[in-house]
Amino acid sequence: MSRIYSQTAPRQALRWLAGALLFADAPLLGHLALWPPLMFAAAVVVSLRMQTQGQRLRSLLWKLLGFALGGAAVMATYGTIAGLEPGLALLLVLMSLKVLEAHTPRDFHVLVLLGFFLCLTALFFNQGLLICLYVGLVSAMLTATLVRFHRGGDARQPFWPAARTTGMIMLQALPLVVVFFVLFPRVYGGFRMPLAPALTGLTGMPERLAPGTIASVVKSNELAFRANFPDTPVPPASSLYWRAGVMWMGDGLSWSPGPGLPGTWPDERLGGELIRQEIVMQPHGGRWVFALDWPAEAVEKATLEPGRVLRSRSPVYAQRRYTVYSRPESREMLLSAPMRVMSLQLRSQPSERVAALVASWRAAGADDPAVVNAALQFFRRENFRYTLTPGTYGGDALESFLFERRVGFCEHYAAAFATLMRVARIPARVVIGYQGGELNDARFGPYVIVRQADAHAWCEVWLQDRGWERVDPTTVVAPGRISFGAQSFLSSGADSAAGTTGAEGSAGATGLREILREVQLAWDSVSYQWDLRVLNFDEEAQRTFFASLGFEKVGQSALLAWTVIASVALLALLGLLLRRLARAPRDRVQEAWLRFCRRLARHGVRRGEAEGPLDFCARASAALPEQAPAIRAEGERYVAERYGA
Amino acid sequence: MTLLLPTRNVLGLGLLVVALWYAGASQSNGAAYLLCFLVTSVALVSGLHTWANLRGVTVSAETPRPMYAGQAAALPVELMNGARVGRHALALRWKGSAPAVVGEIGPGKAARAELRFTAPGRGEHTVHAVTLASAYPLGFFRARRRIGVARDFIVYPRPEGRPHRGAGASRAAAELRSRAQVEGDDFAGTRAYVLGESQRHIDWRAAARGQPLLIKQFAADAGETVWVEWEQASGEVEARLSQLALWVVEAERTGAPYGLRLPGAEFAPARGDAHFHRCMRTLALYQP
Repeated sequence: MSRIYSQTAPRQALRWLAGALLFADAPLLGHLALWPPLMFAAAVVVSLRMQTQGQRLRSLLWKLLGFALGGAAVMATYGTIAGLEPGLALLLVLMSLKVLEAHTPRDFHVLVLLGFFLCLTALFFNQGLLICLYVGLVSAMLTATLVRFHRGGDARQPFWPAARTTGMIMLQALPLVVVFFVLFPRVYGGFRMPLAPALTGLTGMPERLAPGTIASVVKSNELAFRANFPDTPVPPASSLYWRAGVMWMGDGLSWSPGPGLPGTWPDERLGGELIRQEIVMQPHGGRWVFALDWPAEAVEKATLEPGRVLRSRSPVYAQRRYTVYSRPESREMLLSAPMRVMSLQLRSQPSERVAALVASWRAAGADDPAVVNAALQFFRRENFRYTLTPGTYGGDALESFLFERRVGFCEHYAAAFATLMRVARIPARVVIGYQGGELNDARFGPYVIVRQADAHAWCEVWLQDRGWERVDPTTVVAPGRISFGAQSFLSSGADSAAGTTGAEGSAGATGLREILREVQLAWDSVSYQWDLRVLNFDEEAQRTFFASLGFEKVGQSALLAWTVIASVALLALLGLLLRRLARAPRDRVQEAWLRFCRRLARHGVRRGEAEGPLDFCARASAALPEQAPAIRAEGERYVAERYGA
Repeated sequence: MTLLLPTRNVLGLGLLVVALWYAGASQSNGAAYLLCFLVTSVALVSGLHTWANLRGVTVSAETPRPMYAGQAAALPVELMNGARVGRHALALRWKGSAPAVVGEIGPGKAARAELRFTAPGRGEHTVHAVTLASAYPLGFFRARRRIGVARDFIVYPRPEGRPHRGAGASRAAAELRSRAQVEGDDFAGTRAYVLGESQRHIDWRAAARGQPLLIKQFAADAGETVWVEWEQASGEVEARLSQLALWVVEAERTGAPYGLRLPGAEFAPARGDAHFHRCMRTLALYQP
């Protein structure tokens, strides 16, 4: 029956709103400083209490005071109010004040919209499938809150009717979402005020190589990127060297990228087999763009730098999908004069022991390849150890590493090796990136998962007639790391003397762990498809999609026009559908009777406004004697059906 | 014809959608784009639901009870939901009235509401149309339909003025009499029943015996007629009418038969609802 709707918000709607806002607030706990989300949650709870007692924050003075305090706290926590995180914290302060003072129906709407905005802020930091599903759930909660608000009624109502209406609205909105998703033009660039998180505390490629920099990255198991190979089978993990950056300037065990090469460098076209990779890269805040050795050409939004590294034009703050072509078989043969100078320079003079060591190799075999081999033999023979925790190296890092302690991680070996090569006047450079990756063969096709734990450093030397060739000292010191991958290497125990294989690692997994791993991989493949096809449906993907349908060159404004047309059409269709559902049940008896009356009217006998059916039939029979039996029968049938049992 | 218009809440929604789009575009954030699309789609679809919320709802207004000018009055309305699903949060209003909101009408059910308003000046008025509106379910759109009603109603003049002269003595006597009426029936014969009169004192036994309807008269009925006359009142037309209305009301309350004499109309003394409304109606429609 009917219930009268009050002008204030029903208590139940307020509770639902509070719940939805708390759910929307929760994901921010991990990404902002602790106090803003907690403060907002407290404000929501307090205001719920106050509302049910009919109170609210009225005094302007208190509001201003609250805002000033909040601003000061943000300043104290972040040091500034510019930037995404401080801005969000300030926004949470404002929202808390708003929650405490809301009292009109319009305020209710504003709070629901603010809830949606909170969902957006959660998506700034993470866009994985899980958080998107969570945001979908919170959106449904907020919609249900609005529905409950408009149903009115202070009494406690069952939760199901509002939930059902919400579900129907969202279900009917899905086709429209798909239309928007496919047709709406994606724009890029030209934004003066990009909203981007500061991405502090993110593990990833270090800017410079020093003892311990790679080791600290390897400790994290976070996803770095995922790559699939559309055209070729997935190469074995031991041959997957992912290039991220090149260190040109070296000083013992510490290397850095250097100032960059002057002038232009000869852009050499590589030959050999072409491998295409589709890579979805997680945000890391830097300009790294990963590709398999050696990238053949620049990719979208990135340039190809000297040393065959890809560098993004703008820092990578959001997940990025790109396609890159690599030629792993080929070598860069040309070495320009500036590059040669760069690849040979030593910041400081080598110590006597180091110089003597290198001289001994030169004396033994005069040409460069022999020297390289001798260096590798040195590392293999002299009992070097490969471990994640080699301890710190002080002043004479190189000497200490080579002759005394002889324990280190990939960065030590790569840096030392490159230094030794330069001392021997062989052009050398250190390359950092990732090595290997986990093959996921589940559901949606094989692809490689590369994590931060796969981070690696290795060397490249330039040899006459062979060009820039990769030399990875880790292969001689800890071959297990390369052949079995970082995961199994680390789980089997990081320490390993030269020569052990570490194959026991994965064999020790119990049945439960196997199952968990399967589940994890299955989830990852679904998540990867989400990232690849939905999240990163950017301009390029849209273009490719329409090209595959046969529409070449669809302009942005054309897409916008089509979006509007398609959505209007879909809404009209939906409207017709709803109309059908809302139609009153048909009264067929009445319809038949009215048709009968119209027929008689055409023959000149019109039924009076309040004339009963039998009277009308009697009069009609008198007027049209030939049809009298039929008319009477019709009248009696109508009366029987309408008023009969 | 149902009209669908956006409400003021659409402004906030628009701001949110633009912010979502901006976040998605500037960050190349696919998830933000999706949220933007979701919010937009949900709002647009809700507009359709708002429009559909009025379908199948029929409104019929009843004639309001007679009222005095300036009095708080109500227009009774009945809403029928002829659709197969429930309708919610329907707001009805008439031009001069406050809105009445009906929270929920189940499928096939009906609900009653009252549109409260202040009675305008005396005379005959018409309710031409009633507006049915709803912003259910999300409040971003409002659907509105104008329903022609065409109901006439009478507003009686507001009873105001001084008590009837000679009321002092006869009022005390009248109170005694009314008390006597309540306590004991001093039967004083019957008279014929006039159509429209109060049926409280009909002699049913006589009617059962086959006689025509008769009214039992009581002691108080005989005598003590009061005449309410135009000349007795003073002042402007409206003031006089209000005064006369007050006397009629008084007379009806005391129970004495009263007659009304106006320029152009005269009513023989009588009592009862029908007589009362006849007199008041004449006063309401009086044109000098």
